[in-house]
Amino acid sequence: MRDVFELEGETRRVLRDQTNFSHSELTKDTFALQAIGLRKTYGATVALERGDIGLKSGQVHALLGENGAGKSTLVRILAGAVYPDSGEMFLDGAPYAPRNLMEARQNQVATAFQELSLVPNLTVAQNLLLPKLPKAGPWFVSAKDTNRAGEKILARHGLDRIDPQAEISKLPLADRQRIEITRALENAGRVLILDEPTASLAETDWLFERISLARERQVAVLYISHRLAEVREICSEATVLRNGSAIASVGLADATDSDIFEMMVGRKAAHQRTPRSTRASGDKRARLAVKQLGGHNLHNVSFELRPGEILGVAALEGQGQQWLFKMLAGLDQPAEGQIYVDDQPVKLAGPRAALKTGSGIAYLPEERKTEGILGGLSAATNIVLPVLGSATRSPLISPTLETAVAQSSADKVEMSTRYLNFAIGDLSGGNQQKALIARTLATGAKTLLLFDPSRGVDVGTKQSIYTAIRNFADEGGSVLFYSSELPEIVQLADRCMVIYGGQVVRSFAGEDITEQNLVAAMLGHVTSENTIEVKA
Amino acid sequence: MNSTSKPPSQDHRLVQTGDTRVSAKISRETISTLSVTILCLVLLFSARLINPALGSWSQVETVLILGFFLVVLSFGQGLVILTGGLDLSLPATITLGGILATSWIGAGNPAEWYLLPAVLAVCGLVGLASAIGVIWLRVPPFIMTMAMSIIVASALLGYTKGTPRGTAPDMAVALMKGDILGLPAPIVVLIIFVIVGWLFQSRSVYGRYLYAIGTNVEAARNAAVPVTAMRILPYVLSAICAGFVGIALVGYSNGATLRMGDDYLLPSIASVVIGGSSILGGRGTFLGSVGGALLLTILGTIIATLGLEFGFRTIIEGSIILIALLLLREELFQKLRSLKT
Repeated sequence: MRDVFELEGETRRVLRDQTNFSHSELTKDTFALQAIGLRKTYGATVALERGDIGLKSGQVHALLGENGAGKSTLVRILAGAVYPDSGEMFLDGAPYAPRNLMEARQNQVATAFQELSLVPNLTVAQNLLLPKLPKAGPWFVSAKDTNRAGEKILARHGLDRIDPQAEISKLPLADRQRIEITRALENAGRVLILDEPTASLAETDWLFERISLARERQVAVLYISHRLAEVREICSEATVLRNGSAIASVGLADATDSDIFEMMVGRKAAHQRTPRSTRASGDKRARLAVKQLGGHNLHNVSFELRPGEILGVAALEGQGQQWLFKMLAGLDQPAEGQIYVDDQPVKLAGPRAALKTGSGIAYLPEERKTEGILGGLSAATNIVLPVLGSATRSPLISPTLETAVAQSSADKVEMSTRYLNFAIGDLSGGNQQKALIARTLATGAKTLLLFDPSRGVDVGTKQSIYTAIRNFADEGGSVLFYSSELPEIVQLADRCMVIYGGQVVRSFAGEDITEQNLVAAMLGHVTSENTIEVKA
Repeated sequence: MNSTSKPPSQDHRLVQTGDTRVSAKISRETISTLSVTILCLVLLFSARLINPALGSWSQVETVLILGFFLVVLSFGQGLVILTGGLDLSLPATITLGGILATSWIGAGNPAEWYLLPAVLAVCGLVGLASAIGVIWLRVPPFIMTMAMSIIVASALLGYTKGTPRGTAPDMAVALMKGDILGLPAPIVVLIIFVIVGWLFQSRSVYGRYLYAIGTNVEAARNAAVPVTAMRILPYVLSAICAGFVGIALVGYSNGATLRMGDDYLLPSIASVVIGGSSILGGRGTFLGSVGGALLLTILGTIIATLGLEFGFRTIIEGSIILIALLLLREELFQKLRSLKT
């Protein structure tokens, strides 16, 4: 039972679960898994201040919050990967305090992690069955039985097309995520925790079908995602975390998007969709042009990017978009075709060479943690690194000047000054991403290559990043970006090209950039209406 | 998520939890440098209790002069370790520097002003060869530098036919035995070296590049760091430092031997590790390594004054490295940080 209470003098309303945590003693047996007052600190950093959550059997519960709100920590505690400093957990009313993942799994609580926890050099079947592989005799494991059992599990979850003998590292990211989820499904008798399960999945049908089946088995599901539309589709209730504390638990039917947004960030969503300006005029010469580019699975890719233009790339997972960006950043050499910068044919030897070519190309890599940030260095150093020598005007760095230079870029992405002197590895994912965007802006390059600029960040950070990108284009910069989220392309792009099977299959401009159009083209469903052919 | 960065709104009555979570202000590096320095001082002064001759100014001078070699080596070794490598070719390169200085130059040679830099350049080439093997041939650093060490040592054996000849160049003698402004020359040079080394590693663009590479090569490449050049640099600098130490050792003992560098390999790595650097790269400061080098030197002199066998020295050295590694583990830093806040 819920009610709505009004804050004094406020028209805004906060929906709050009336079965409040303070009454938890009375209600704990109604929950499959309940956590009360979980707290976890790392040194002086409090990752989770007060984690309260209650999951019910046969229901999907969403966990919402900005990056750095403490979601991952809460998930890791529930999953047994992290032990809390204080607080209690109950599984079907009985105390539950897993010391590790295996202990949680023995209690039939299983988790599919966002940073996948599969062993990359083992096969699909081995990963699904570990730690108990079928034995052949007293000492040896049976490869045959392992594969057969793996095949059965895959078939049960509609993944027959995946070879149980395939090595995990050879699979595309999306399939690895499916295996991670499948393994969790197999082990989740009571509670299933899915941390950003759609981060690498282009479509959700398979996942939602699996979740529905788990729900029918009376499994309590905790679903963590940034995508509110998805959450609404599959979840009935949500708990919102902010700054490490559980702010509220709400029924999703009763709360509007704007309510939820407000609970997450503590302010109203600013939904400004700036009308597309006419900044990209056709007669300016192209900053970046590509003719008949090919290599890896790419073929015959041609396009032009003009000053002041934001060009989006839409594609399903693994259609060659990674290679396109890597070639343009100089990390990979094209097998065929030619890249032009400021109308000059160029050969790019690496990101540093790309930055120094013509008006300059700056690159934002896909994986923030492994290809982007330099964890031990300060956020300021991370931002100014590409232009360290020129920005600080001498081979010796003055820390004050370094911070000042970083500050001017950090302002553009609305990143707070106080984070600049922290080691970037200690910051939340959202602030790390802001710093990386600030880095591309700090380079002074006129062309930005942004691969999934808002991957895994919260709504507030997203808006800051969008604003920064728009301002950059308004000042005459050119942006080529790929996004795994269609609304992002619709919101940002002046033009958009769709890559399918390594080729540009369709191009859209202006009002034609709609999610429906993009989805059809991304699935390789080509029709001729409403399109503008790519200029070669 | 940081609500303080937004302009405060008067009518905002939502429960503002605020972001009270703070991050650690004291870095791991500062803690380890401080603790090594304190340990040095404690050892130096508590040594007085064992023997009144210890802990005097003249003993401090002795420590600094003896520590000179290790400090210089730990700079080069520290840079290589910072980028995730390891330089095992130090002993052979020290010997190379020493033997070239005696056999090419010798005492009273007026051409020493350009021959000494030439000796350093030859040592630098050894480092370059190691770097090429590590970067382009993708040989693991410790195997590549060990191979270089064996090659150089064998070449020297052939070149000297087993007996190095010649005397120390005048400049090398002046460096180790001379006076500058009333202070022993090696101490003055040491102080200048420490300042320059610290500026290079902690305050220069190149130093930042090395930290970036040691943290994550791919991310550094994406951040437009000149990765290849910056991976070569530490090996070359380390070899030049070793050559310099070889020349200095010749000036100190007035002659070269084929095994003159052998006792410096483990201490050079130990200094860096005791000083708080991560053996995996990306972390550590030169000042920490200086503290580590001096700590090992102080221990050496104490053991020598106590009249213990050389074997004890290596046992104690080994134990100290182990204790330092255990103490420097992440958990301890977490504890120290939370105590101070």
